[in-house]
Formats: sequence, C-alpha cells, structure tokens
Amino acid sequence: MQGVVDKLVAAVGTVLIGKDEQIRLALACLFARGHLLIEDLPGMGKTTLAHGLAKVLGLSFSRIQFTSDLLPADILGVSIYDRHHSKFEFHPGPVFSQLLLADEINRTTPKTQSALLEAMAEGQVTVEGETRALPTPFFVIATQNPASQAGTYPLPESQLDRFLMRIALGYPDPQSERQLLSGVDPRSRLAELKAMLSPGQLLQIQQKVNEVKASESLVDYLQRLVQYTRDEPGFHCGLSPRGALAVLQCARAWSLIHGRHYVIPEDVQAVFPAVAAHRLSAEGEHAGMDSDALVRRVLNAVDIIDVS
Amino acid sequence: MTPSWQIRRHALFWLLTAYAAVIALHAEHLPRWILVAAVIAACWRIQCFRGAWPLPGRPLKLGLLAMCLTGLLLEYGNPIGLEPMVALLVSAYVMKLLEMVHRRDAYLVVLLAFFVAALAALFDQSISGAGYVLGCLLLVLAALIGLHQSDTTSGRLRPLRGAAALLFQAMPLMILMFLLMPRVGALWSVPIQTHKAKTGVTDTMSPGDFSQLGRSAELAFRVTFDGAIPPQRQLYWRGLVLSKFDGRVWSRTFRTSLDDGALLQWYGQQPKHWDQLIERRGDPLRYSVVIEPTQQPWLYALNTALPGGRGVALTRDFRLISAQPVTSKQQYQVISWLDYRVESANLSPDRRKIELQLPDGFNPRAVALAQRWRRLESDDRALVQRVLNLYNREFIYTLQPPLLGRDSVDEFLFDTQRGFCEHFAGSFVFLMRAAGIPARVVAGYQGGERHPDGYLSVRQYDAHAWAEVWLPDEGWVSIDPTAHVAPERIEGDIQTLLGDEEGFLADSPASLMRFRHIGWINRLRLDMEALNYHWALWVLGYDQKQQSFLRGLLGDTSPLRIALALLGTGGGLVLLIGLWKLIPDRPKPLDPLDRQFQALCRKLERGGCARLSGEGPRAFAERIGLEQPELAEQVMAISRAYEGMRYGEQASQPELLAKAVKRLPAIRR
Repeated sequence: MQGVVDKLVAAVGTVLIGKDEQIRLALACLFARGHLLIEDLPGMGKTTLAHGLAKVLGLSFSRIQFTSDLLPADILGVSIYDRHHSKFEFHPGPVFSQLLLADEINRTTPKTQSALLEAMAEGQVTVEGETRALPTPFFVIATQNPASQAGTYPLPESQLDRFLMRIALGYPDPQSERQLLSGVDPRSRLAELKAMLSPGQLLQIQQKVNEVKASESLVDYLQRLVQYTRDEPGFHCGLSPRGALAVLQCARAWSLIHGRHYVIPEDVQAVFPAVAAHRLSAEGEHAGMDSDALVRRVLNAVDIIDVS
Repeated sequence: MTPSWQIRRHALFWLLTAYAAVIALHAEHLPRWILVAAVIAACWRIQCFRGAWPLPGRPLKLGLLAMCLTGLLLEYGNPIGLEPMVALLVSAYVMKLLEMVHRRDAYLVVLLAFFVAALAALFDQSISGAGYVLGCLLLVLAALIGLHQSDTTSGRLRPLRGAAALLFQAMPLMILMFLLMPRVGALWSVPIQTHKAKTGVTDTMSPGDFSQLGRSAELAFRVTFDGAIPPQRQLYWRGLVLSKFDGRVWSRTFRTSLDDGALLQWYGQQPKHWDQLIERRGDPLRYSVVIEPTQQPWLYALNTALPGGRGVALTRDFRLISAQPVTSKQQYQVISWLDYRVESANLSPDRRKIELQLPDGFNPRAVALAQRWRRLESDDRALVQRVLNLYNREFIYTLQPPLLGRDSVDEFLFDTQRGFCEHFAGSFVFLMRAAGIPARVVAGYQGGERHPDGYLSVRQYDAHAWAEVWLPDEGWVSIDPTAHVAPERIEGDIQTLLGDEEGFLADSPASLMRFRHIGWINRLRLDMEALNYHWALWVLGYDQKQQSFLRGLLGDTSPLRIALALLGTGGGLVLLIGLWKLIPDRPKPLDPLDRQFQALCRKLERGGCARLSGEGPRAFAERIGLEQPELAEQVMAISRAYEGMRYGEQASQPELLAKAVKRLPAIRR
C-alpha cells in the first residue's frame, strides 16, 4: 500500500515539485471520499495538482472556470431538442466526470455555487426533474483565491463544511524552485503521466480506509480535541460532530497512506489543520487570529494522555 | 438614568410567582382590599410588560399611596401594632411592583419579598408554616437569579434549580446560626397584639362563651408528664379565677391581689408570705406544657401549682402567669400537688367580701331559693350537696343551650334547665354566694387527649368552667357542677358526649378530628400531631434550651465566646465549601500503559528532554532520536511498543513497557 502511494506521490511530484506533503493530503482526502478546497494565489500549481492527480489515478477530468455569469445549467448540463429524433436530449455538463476542478469557485453567484455543492453532497444531480447519478468516484477539487476578494461571493461556513479538507500550496522551497526553473516546463510532462490505479483499485482503497482501526484511546483523544474547541473561549463555535467525523476519516486515510492499519495521534495531528481550520473561526480576545494558529493552539493544549 | 432597562420575561415570571406566593402567605390576616390591589398591580405589571399599558405616572402613584394610607387607617384605626405594620409593608411591596423602572427597583422588590416572607414567621410557627416560608424563599431566590439570566440561554426552570442549590448550600449555615446565634428579644419591640379575635378562654365568662369554644378543634396546649398521666377526672387545667359578677358577666377582680401587696411570686424567688397559706401534700407532679399563642399572659396548670422554670410566676389567687403575653408557642415547666389545702385557716374579711359579692336586683328567685336552703341546712357541705343534687335531677348538659334574658341564673335554674359548663358553674357560684358561702368561678380546660407517645393535647373544645367554694377548715375546694350533670364529660371525653350534636366542631370543618373514628385517618392525625409537637419542643422550644446547650458546647456563654464560635465554625464552613470548589475533580485512574509511557516521559524529562503538550509518542521519539542519538533506538522501540498496544492491535502488556523503561539509562547532561 505504502509502495503504491509513494509511487503516486513521486509521479505527481514530477509535475508539482517539492509539494509531497500536499499531494499526500490531497490523496488522503480523495481516499476518505471527500472533496478538496485549495486556497492559494494564482500560479501556485493548483490546476497542476488537480490535473496530475486525475492522470495518475486514471480518472476522467474536467475543469470549470467559474465566472460571475456562469449558470447552474453550464455545470450540470442541459436538454436540447433533437430535430432528427423529435425529442429532447440531455447533454451532460462538466460535472459528469470523476475529477472536477472548480477553479475560483468564489467568483460565481451563490446559486451556481449551490448547484455544485449539492452535487458534491449527494453524488447525484437533478436536472429538469430527473435525477442522474454522477460517476464514481466523484471528486471535486475547488480552488479559491484568498488575495483579491473584490467581486467575489465567499463561500459561507455551511458550504465550507462540505469540503473535507482545505489546504494551501504555498511557495516552493528555493531548491525545488531552482529545480523547477532549470528543468523542462513540468506541465509538458503532464501528458507523459500514466494511470497507475484502476478505478476498481481506487474504490478498494477507499473501502480499506473504513477498516483502519481507531482505538478507544484515540477516539478519546479526538473527542477531547473537539471538546476543547467547544468549551474554551476564543472559538466562535466549536467543531461539529460532522467535523469530528471528518477528522477521524482523514486520519484513517492518512494512516493507511503511511502503511498502518491503526490510527495514531500523529495521524490526527497531521490532518487536523487541513480538516478543522476552515470549520473554525476565532472570536473574543483571539479575534483575528488566523485559523491555522487557532488549530495549533488546540493541538498544543490537548495532550494525548488524559490526565485531568 | 437608563430608562432602557426592561425586565426579561423569565425574570418577571419568577418575580410575579414569588410575589403571589409571598402575598398568599399573609392573605389570612390582610384586609381584602390589599389582596385585590395586589392582583390589580400584578395584572398592570403584565400589561406593562406586553406594552399594552404605561406605568403609572407620578400623580397616580401619589394618589395610590394616599388611598393605601387612608385605607390602612380606616381598617385598623391605631397604626401601631403588628398587623397594620405588616399590611403597610405589603402595600408598599405591591406598589413597588408598579414602580419597577430600573434594575435596582427590581432588587428592591426582591428584598421586600424576602422581608415580607420572613414576617410570616411571626404569625405561624408551625412546621407547615415554616415549610411555606422556605418555599417562598426558594421562589424569591429564583426571582433574584432570574434577574441575572437571559431568556435565550436558559430554560424557565433553571432559576429554580439554582435557587434550590443556593438554599441547600445555605442549610449548614442556617443550622449553625440556629444553634449558636443568641436570641435577642429586647430589640424587638413591635407590639405583637393581633387584632383578630383568637379562639380561646378569655378573662370574662357569660352564658354561651364556652359553648362557642366547643365549636373549635384548635389546639390549646400540650403537656408532657414526667411520670404517668393522672386520671382524666383530675385534669382540671386552672387558668383564671373569676370573682366579679355584674348580673350577666363573670370577670376577674383585681383587688384580690392588690390588697395583699406582693402579688406575684416568680420562679426562684423567696416565697411570699401568702405562700404558707398553701398546704402541699404527697408527691409533686412534674410536667411541661407547650402552649399555643393566646395573646394573654395567663398559663394553665393543675391545682395547686408552682412554677418549675424561669419567666413564670404564681399569683395571689394561686394561678400561674407568664412574664409576657403568650404571643408565640411557649414552653413552661410546672410542679403540681394534686392533694392540697388552700387558705383553710381563715379567709380575711376583705376577701370574704369579694368572694360573696353579688349584684343587687338580679335573679330574685335564685336568691330566694338559696336563702330558703340556707335556713334548712346549717352545714355548708350539706348545702353544696343539695345544690348538686338539684343539678343531677333536673338538668341537661348541651352544647346548644337556649338563650337567656336579664335574670340569666333564674331563667336557667327554673325555666330552661339546659346548659353548658358555664351555666352550671355560674349558677352554682351564684347560689353559693346567695347562701353566704364564699365561692368563685374558675375557667380553664378539662381533660385532654392522650397520645400514644405519652403526652396530652388539650383543645379548645376542652375549655371548661367550674367552681371553687370556701369551706371552713377545708379552704378552697374545687367543685364541678357539670360533673354531676354529665359525669361522662369529665370521665370520658367531650367527643363521645357531644360528637353527634350539631354545632360541635362547626368552626373546624376541615379538622381531621371529625374523622377520628376512621382508624387510619386517626393514626395519621396522631402522627402529624406528634411531629408538630416535637417541632414545637425542639425547634421552637430551643430558645429555652439554648443556654444550657451552649454551656455544654462552649463551657461558657460569654458573648465573646459565642461570637468566636459563630465566626469560627461559620468561617470554617465557608472555607470548607470554598476548598471543595477548589479541589479539581479526582483524576480518573490512568491506564497502565499510559502510566508506563508517562514514566518514560518523566525519566527523559529529568534528563532535560520533556515531552511537549500534545506531542504524540512517535513524534516525541523522533525528536529524542535527534537530541539524544545514543538513546534513539531504545526510546523509539518503547514508543512503538506503546503505540502498538495503545492504538494498534497488539495486546496490552504494560509490564513489558515497564521493563524497557527501567532498562533505559538515565540521560547524562
């Protein structure tokens, strides 16, 4: 298992240099059957990551560039009258693919956003009164640009909650960047990437994630983490049970990626910032603290052994 | 000025609930119109809250105040006294409700509620009364807490729970203060004369008075004897001596005692010169009496009695009297000699005149009869017997005697011949005096109900009047004419005699006495009475026991020592509660694996490599590996083992970990 994952990471690493940790998180998110939100500046490799993942996992890929005049039908598809057959024929939209890159999701109207989010939550779409199942696996990578918020429709907390993880890519380290600059344009290598997993294998891995053991002490640790966000001052509202489940599921995927069949506290700590940060916001004297610092506060305050 | 304050819904709810409860506590002795005003004020307040009505303006408030004061003056006349004062306070409380504009007004309303609720203890000291007051305090506390809670974050019942917790926490302090706090009586100088006529024996007797008492089952007093209770026919509870007769009403004469100078002989005092007039024989009977409030100073005892405790005196006419009117339940000790002779040697001419006094021009037929019999019988005893025989032959004992006119004794003796004890005692004394034998009426109670617990309760329907005649060489002799008409009344009890008669217990419609023929109700009633009795004895009667209790506890009852004890124990109690709060919850026992891992952490910490909060075992081991490469392997192994056992599938073997930790060499710095 670890071998497969390492190979996947190495393959995607050829197009997105020096971002192994983020690639692993994205894989963990996918294995945990969640959707991924990447928040970063333009040109950091968001699209490359999505594209690379689609390639190596052998998933069908489509991309929607969200704009303010995009309509739900542009995503979901539309029925068009076919004169030859004298009937309406459904033309599926880009949402009918296994890996969907929703670029700059905050640029479009809430109406269009919610059309996508419904598809993400339900795994199906309803067009013109007919419910159509989306392909499996169905994986959405959405990106948003945190820097220029003018003319955007920020996702409300309730919709942020639909994303299992939110990660940032960040600038590459100098060595990686030098490597990037001196070599061939990595994007040209995208075409060379080969599928390394069959869809069946992917589903198998997703199945295995559920079988990873979370011992009583680990659940206890996780529960204390979550309780801390609810009891301590400084949090606008604590993590929901859904948030707690998301952390556990990602931690399972993370331990599976690292070749273990049981979750250890380090797994929880590794995925906790990506899973919890976008579900928490500071208030009171900590207002304005960025959510990563908030999450670090939680991890530092709650010990793995409950001595209270 | 912040006119923006608006009482919250829940706070108002609790404030009004407490208000209703506190006013209901006083409903019995408040004028009706105050109750009506209270309801109107509450409705007004609710309408204000709903925004329907404005609060009353200043002119209206002044008008209300004037109306209240006028109403109180009209109601009571004399404003000095307990009831007018309570009524004044309650009306202030009612009006303050309409003046609640700021938060501090609400606090004032709460404080007033506390005070008004506590005042109820002046009127009723029974166990149920105390329970009601406690319940009211609970509601008032809830109102106070409600003022500090928002509607959104708390349920409606939450203030009540908080109040219950507060009250519960205050309980030890309350008990402590009850036990140690000195009772300061002198500071309390409001006259506690209640205006309402209480049922009970009064210091006058006219036909019909005692049959009125027969309508009530209210408790008069309870008696606990040191030994066995004497037979029923000896239980004559002497309370008053009535020597003056004006043709209709028998009343006390004050000259009896004044002529002799020292009229009271207090407990513990040197015996007065008239004490030697009493010849006490046989073994004394010791008992203690818990008397219900009568608002009168006289006490009841078996003749002939001596005070057995402080605050009680023997009067010149050989009754017991209390230092203050009995305004609350009170306990007193008595020593009685049932075998006695009083003033047997001689009766002074002055006193003889008093005890022979008769109004002129009343009851000519009775006077004629007495004089005729006097001529026939020279012996006083024989004359007494003749009169008693008369009663025995012709007369009927009834709770509902016919009404009598001006010459009441004549009409009773010769026409109606139906009467209650006061008719017999009155006419008997009249005949005796007309025949030249000094005689007087004695009022009090007769008999009592024996309880399984060994005490006796005497109720209002046991009220009785009998006679005392002075016979040469014998002194004052008690004679009960009623006993010759209806011996069952004296030997048995009045229940069996009059139980079926209309009017008996008419004033106590809800009394359980009515159902005493039903076994379990009677048992319940007796149990309840026993509970109330012990309450009276141990809680209300504690005032008298306090001194000796404190002396036993502290060795000395100087104010300094009491204050120190109060502060010491009270402070200690508060400190204990504070410490209890400070102590964190007991740590739950650690898992053996966790304990071993902590042992590892401690060992490494001593070497300067502490595990950080939140650091997992693997991350910790990796860090140690970097900082102390020589230990890397061992620490990593332990961590892995711990991780596997704690989170993975490995079986838990803490002893393996313990061994490994022990083998780990200490870090040298």
